[in-house]
Amino acid sequence: MAVDIPNKLEDLPTSSPRHIGRGRRRVEDPALLTGRTEFVDDVDLPRMLHCAILRSPFAHARVSAVDTREAEALPGVVAVVTGEDALRWSHPAQSSPEGWGTHCLPTEKVRFVGEPVAAVAATSRYVAEDAVELITVDYEPLDAVSDPLAASEPGSPLVIEENGTNVMLDRTFTWGEVDEAFASADFVLTERFRWNRMGANPTETFGCVCEWNPLDLSLTVRGSIQSPTNFGLGRAAAFGLPSNKVNIVSHPHGGSFGGKGGTRGTDIACLLSRKADGRPVKWIEDRVEYLTSGGSQAWDRHYEVSLAVKSDGTVTGLAVGLVEDLGATGEGYGAICAAKPLAAFTGPYTIPVARYDLKLVATNKVPSSPLRGMGPPPHFCVLEQMMDLAARRLEMDPAELRRRNFIASDAFPYTIPSGNEYDSGSYEEVLDQALALADYPAMRAEQAKAREEGRLVGIGVASAIEPGVFDWNAYAIVGVPGTGVPEGATVSIDIMGFITVRVGFTLEGQGQYTLVTQLVADYFGTEPEMVRVVYLDTRSAPPSFGPGGSRLGVAITGAVLGACERIRQKACRVVAVLMQTGPENIVLADGKFGIPGVPEAQMTVAEVAGTMLARSDLLPPDVDPRPEATHVWTAPGRTLADDEGRAKSYLTAAQAVHVVKVEIDPETGFVEIQRYCLADDCGTRLNPATVEGQTDGSVAMGIGAALLEEYAFDEDAQPLTTTFMDYLMPTVYEVPEIEKVAVVTPSPFTPLGAKGCGEGAIHTTPAAVLCAVNDALAPLGQMAREVPAAPNRLWKLIREARGSGES
Amino acid sequence: MTAARQIRVRVNGEEYDAVVDPRLTLADFLRQELGLTGTHVGCEHGVCGVCNVLVDGRSVRSCLMLAVQVDGLEVETVESLAEGEKLHPIQEAFMDEHGLQCGFCTPGFMMSIKELLDRNPSPGDDEIMDVLGGSICRCTGYTGILRAVHSAAAKMGGGG
Repeated sequence: MAVDIPNKLEDLPTSSPRHIGRGRRRVEDPALLTGRTEFVDDVDLPRMLHCAILRSPFAHARVSAVDTREAEALPGVVAVVTGEDALRWSHPAQSSPEGWGTHCLPTEKVRFVGEPVAAVAATSRYVAEDAVELITVDYEPLDAVSDPLAASEPGSPLVIEENGTNVMLDRTFTWGEVDEAFASADFVLTERFRWNRMGANPTETFGCVCEWNPLDLSLTVRGSIQSPTNFGLGRAAAFGLPSNKVNIVSHPHGGSFGGKGGTRGTDIACLLSRKADGRPVKWIEDRVEYLTSGGSQAWDRHYEVSLAVKSDGTVTGLAVGLVEDLGATGEGYGAICAAKPLAAFTGPYTIPVARYDLKLVATNKVPSSPLRGMGPPPHFCVLEQMMDLAARRLEMDPAELRRRNFIASDAFPYTIPSGNEYDSGSYEEVLDQALALADYPAMRAEQAKAREEGRLVGIGVASAIEPGVFDWNAYAIVGVPGTGVPEGATVSIDIMGFITVRVGFTLEGQGQYTLVTQLVADYFGTEPEMVRVVYLDTRSAPPSFGPGGSRLGVAITGAVLGACERIRQKACRVVAVLMQTGPENIVLADGKFGIPGVPEAQMTVAEVAGTMLARSDLLPPDVDPRPEATHVWTAPGRTLADDEGRAKSYLTAAQAVHVVKVEIDPETGFVEIQRYCLADDCGTRLNPATVEGQTDGSVAMGIGAALLEEYAFDEDAQPLTTTFMDYLMPTVYEVPEIEKVAVVTPSPFTPLGAKGCGEGAIHTTPAAVLCAVNDALAPLGQMAREVPAAPNRLWKLIREARGSGES
Repeated sequence: MTAARQIRVRVNGEEYDAVVDPRLTLADFLRQELGLTGTHVGCEHGVCGVCNVLVDGRSVRSCLMLAVQVDGLEVETVESLAEGEKLHPIQEAFMDEHGLQCGFCTPGFMMSIKELLDRNPSPGDDEIMDVLGGSICRCTGYTGILRAVHSAAAKMGGGG
């Protein structure tokens, strides 16, 4: 049965959508606002135990003995696990790249500060923490390495000795005649940049409740889990279980942003449950654990970037050298952040050729993780600094340089050198809208005046792509297999006409249940109150990945509309028999099935569903009598990656232009954002209020990235930022009012023309803010090459300049 | 470990007599002993404000306060805001203005906003910033939360 999913709003069976495209109240909110949503730490099961974990104070040390006897003797302690239990009952973690996983508890040595060494399950967290203090460990400290450049040198301490090197991957990808482009350029710019580790830091840390069933050797994990299906497969591999014996129950999460992690803690809690004869074990990561060694840290990068430029401003080549520090193992899948830039390597520009020298290196730091944006944000940040340098060299306005290099709106679908295809866009219009919103000429005039007064005022104009609807093929170069990421939904209409939609993902903040409600209400011409969205665990759900890679809005729209369409087709056959006509004559419009133009030949959705479920005598003999269907949506047209990593990967390409005005206080190096304007185009906006919410939050995170947030380490790989007093999250004081304007260029390839937009502004914000900072510093002859551009770094640059320039 | 202590505390208008360990935090007391899990815990070191509750009308970090310290006092949590099925104007405002996404930090924000609006129904921008600056939200960029404070103030009869 062919299923046509409308890729335009006009193709919905409604004369005009009453819910899609409107920012209605979210169905998620009443429970959240009254404290009734069940987050994982709210779960309380009979005989449940609580886990606390003993962690390594050393970045690198041999573990010669672990003595748990005193801890085991403490009243209330039920189980204690160490590396011996991990060795007996589990396998090393899966990793990317492959072969860089270790056991969840150390069998010989620890490789980063905060690595779990032993764990306790007790009747309360308080007792478990007491018991952890009674465990003694004999460590033999080893030399640690915290710098990926040093770690790549021969003679460096080895993080995983068996691998014989710390270099996890070292490859050059060349797309087109790059050497020729650089040889024939009018000038070539080369710069080095440093992007320091930052992280997701959702307000809820990771947590889980693990329950080992000793009778049928199965496992249930309830948790704050972003990708339940994959998480379940990982646990099955870790414990050697058939995948259908692992059930993942995902609880609503207090944010995720890719950085929920938690596989190690989960595996440890599973071992404890097994040792405690199947009693459920709850592990809630605390914030210090999260900041020290949780699934948060990402993008620890050293860049060397070259740009080939013609004297008219055309950029003819891009070469990016990236050394990325992935930390001690590949278990966090941080490597995919280095692969994803292939999906939008040359940004919104027509740069025809490119090269990527990629080196992934292990050090004695926490394994790195995914993070909102997944890797392109730093890539675009350095690309946009290069564009500004080119503009400065040409004495051209930075907005104009970008305009000259934009992919034209009639050039789509457009294939970039690294292989991905962009679906659609109106980049010049987005630029025009952003400049108009900012009143760019007036802004430049204000800047000129401020500069005359000796003030450090700068303007950043930056543009970037948000690849949307991720695909595994985008990460082929770091060993991730597969093409296509299915997402399913089951839509059921009951005998009274009420509709239930069953999905395999839970709440995370983006308002997806509201979106599902809007879609179904418009499709069947009913009210949102008639629709209920229900979460299913991995034991029962249709194939599902859940949120991630800016995909779920598009993917769940495809799944839900596909399921609705399947029901429509079945219902049309039933109605055709009742109305004694062919099914091709029956039309669903505004909630009624019938013959167009014949008022007496119309049936409501409830009447049709009721007939299907309770009047079998009237049904055609070969019809499926259930007003219910499941549809599993996968992005169309995806291709397997070739040897150079090229594939049609992310289905959509949203684009934005941000215009930012900053002033730097020369005495303190503190950056004040005076205006923040943006225009963005993410195709059809299915729920404008939630799209804007994603944008606002993502700008805030991007400001944190550009100016504040950093996981700092000393040379012995000791973490220096283990509380929120040291790791600086943006507060209301750091986030300015964000002025926004929307451009809508629907995608021709997606359900209703929507594009992925959840990761959003973080692709552009760090670039725009750093461009503004560097514009402010330009009169001093200085440039910030390190992110975050924190006050101490800028103050140093200003002092250096004034020291030499003013004497 | 020091011996357990007897406390009497009024929580959301209900009186509780409880025997608690001196080291039990107020957050854990509310969540684990009373089952009031609407108060969430974000950092346990007093920075994020996710766990804010009101004690005798003043907002406190329930992760930094011990249960024994509220002996004889009155505690209000997010569960006290709605009256049956009717949401409090602050809750309504958060919903209307999209002041929440994941909702994990929201109870803490709402309790400190309640303290603010109970004290001053028409707060100025500085006063609002002062209160919101004490909490961290990772999802919203604070835009919707700021709108929600103004909207709640208007709903509750102040100028907003």
